[in-house]
Amino acid sequence: MIYRTRLALLAALVAGTAMAQDVAFSTTSIAQAWTTKTPGFSDTTQVPLTEFVGVDATKLGGKEALSFHMYGWGMADLGDQSYIGGKHTGDLTYGYLQYDFKQANAQIKAGRIIVNQGLGPMALDGVEARTDLRYGFMVSAFAGTPVVFKNYSNNNQYFVAYQQDISFGGRFAWRTAKLGEIGVSYLQDGSHPAAGLTVPQPVDYTRKQLAADVKLDPCAFLDVAGRTVLNVASDQITVPGTDPSRIAEHDYKATAKVNEKISITGTYVERNFFSYYAGSTLPSLFNQDEQGTFKATGASLVWAALANLQIVGDVRRSERTSYGDATRAGGEARYTFTNAHVVAGAAYHQVNADDVLPVNAQFAAYSLSHSEERVWVMADRGAYSASLDMIRLHYDDADANPNLHGQSIESAIVGSLGYKAKDNLRLSADLSVEDNALTKSQVMALLRVQYTFGLAAKGGK
Amino acid sequence: MLKKFALLSVALGLGLMVACSWISPKGSFAPTHPQALDNGRPTCSDCHGTDRVSGSEKTFASFNHTEAFVANHKFQANQDPATCAACHAQSFCADCHGGKTAMLPSVKLGNRPDRVSPHRTGYLSLHRIDGKIDPTSCFECHGRANNEKCTACHK
Repeated sequence: MIYRTRLALLAALVAGTAMAQDVAFSTTSIAQAWTTKTPGFSDTTQVPLTEFVGVDATKLGGKEALSFHMYGWGMADLGDQSYIGGKHTGDLTYGYLQYDFKQANAQIKAGRIIVNQGLGPMALDGVEARTDLRYGFMVSAFAGTPVVFKNYSNNNQYFVAYQQDISFGGRFAWRTAKLGEIGVSYLQDGSHPAAGLTVPQPVDYTRKQLAADVKLDPCAFLDVAGRTVLNVASDQITVPGTDPSRIAEHDYKATAKVNEKISITGTYVERNFFSYYAGSTLPSLFNQDEQGTFKATGASLVWAALANLQIVGDVRRSERTSYGDATRAGGEARYTFTNAHVVAGAAYHQVNADDVLPVNAQFAAYSLSHSEERVWVMADRGAYSASLDMIRLHYDDADANPNLHGQSIESAIVGSLGYKAKDNLRLSADLSVEDNALTKSQVMALLRVQYTFGLAAKGGK
Repeated sequence: MLKKFALLSVALGLGLMVACSWISPKGSFAPTHPQALDNGRPTCSDCHGTDRVSGSEKTFASFNHTEAFVANHKFQANQDPATCAACHAQSFCADCHGGKTAMLPSVKLGNRPDRVSPHRTGYLSLHRIDGKIDPTSCFECHGRANNEKCTACHK
């Protein structure tokens, strides 16, 4: 089935691009090499080669509205192959035909698509359509086979694919000038929930979600956006004696533009693990049975101090029932030099968090508090470009934290030099030096070749 | 059988006619921004002031790419991805939002420190702290896809 799908996509690619009047073709080739030195383990060397390919073919068959879009990658490891678990790997991220109508913002996509409307993003092999309706209403819908990624070997992988046999959903919304937009959306992943299987399975990879979203911008000075997501699956297995919340998520933000230079944003997030993690393909990590919730409130202030200087201050207070509270506060500045050939930024954030209680007597309680510093600059002059990115992390409790092996400071420096050989050919080489608690000193080299031809209308920014 | 087919065809035909009459007669908005934009994050209201995006009915100011917009861009993408597509090809989104990604976005974009990119170098240790403070932020990308690497440790 997989080979037939690939063959069909390849045929669509060849036929699509052959019929197109405008074709934008882009490739990025990346060669990497690094050696990992982990204390207690033998050194490993990875030399992966990766090729990203993108095609945007428009005016198919002479029709302005019909286009074909594809993006994917392939990777081969010339080293010890432990990095990708074999000789080669790859993925077709998307590949679809698109038809844009001149009226009502109507659009149809078919193929391997990434659905963003409503509760996306999610990848599926299928069809998506949307159109505006009269009186400010709009509707979109999608259906297809979910793209199932290889998470496990053996039996569990089979049950992921079996349970997630079909996905469908859509969004219905109403928008009006001087107020904004409100919408409701539905998403169903899979038609074989674990509770209904004749062979009992402990993990349910399916989900049914209903969401309401809002975006209110009654004037240019106020913008409110957010959504509430409900878990509406009625047949999910719960821990006996518990009645978990059916609210998967509240996620809202409001931005007020105080004047031309200052805007303030407030955010609120609440997530209930049972409903939020519904359908996870990694249940060992995203544990639905964890009791409690995660909540966070935040605020940020953006100040355009000068025409080319932006300063951001932000604070976020989060609460997780099982691990306690944390506050992250700090700021960032970005400066664009007048000629726009040099952009620089600096950021500092401090995280103050509760101690993690010991799981057993082997470890003492330790703090999650730490700070992050970052300075970066990028410049271009003529055909040449360069960038430098420096990051430093400082952990407050490195001695007690068993994951840090006593290392309180981690740092990384990434430098890049680029040369634009032609308008459509750019070469760049990166060198990164990293010192972290797990792999100790690590040097990574990267060579990047970016090549485009055809009429690329957008997308590279 | 034939009668059922005929009735179904009539019902479908009527349904389509009614549905088509509901479709907005307005023209679609521009699929691409008519002018090339400078490097860096655009402030749409610099040129468009307090105007609204034709067809979308939202203020241009609400698309200003401030830090808050970038951090919460999912709201816009979930409601109206066509407005994103005016400037961004889908491959721009795929740098981070792939069901299966080849490498960390920060490595792929190592020459673009200006772009917001999750998991900058050194994240291997930090993820054990971030994951305890807020595991839901991991779930958005790794909960249902792009988690082959996670299974190496998180069996």
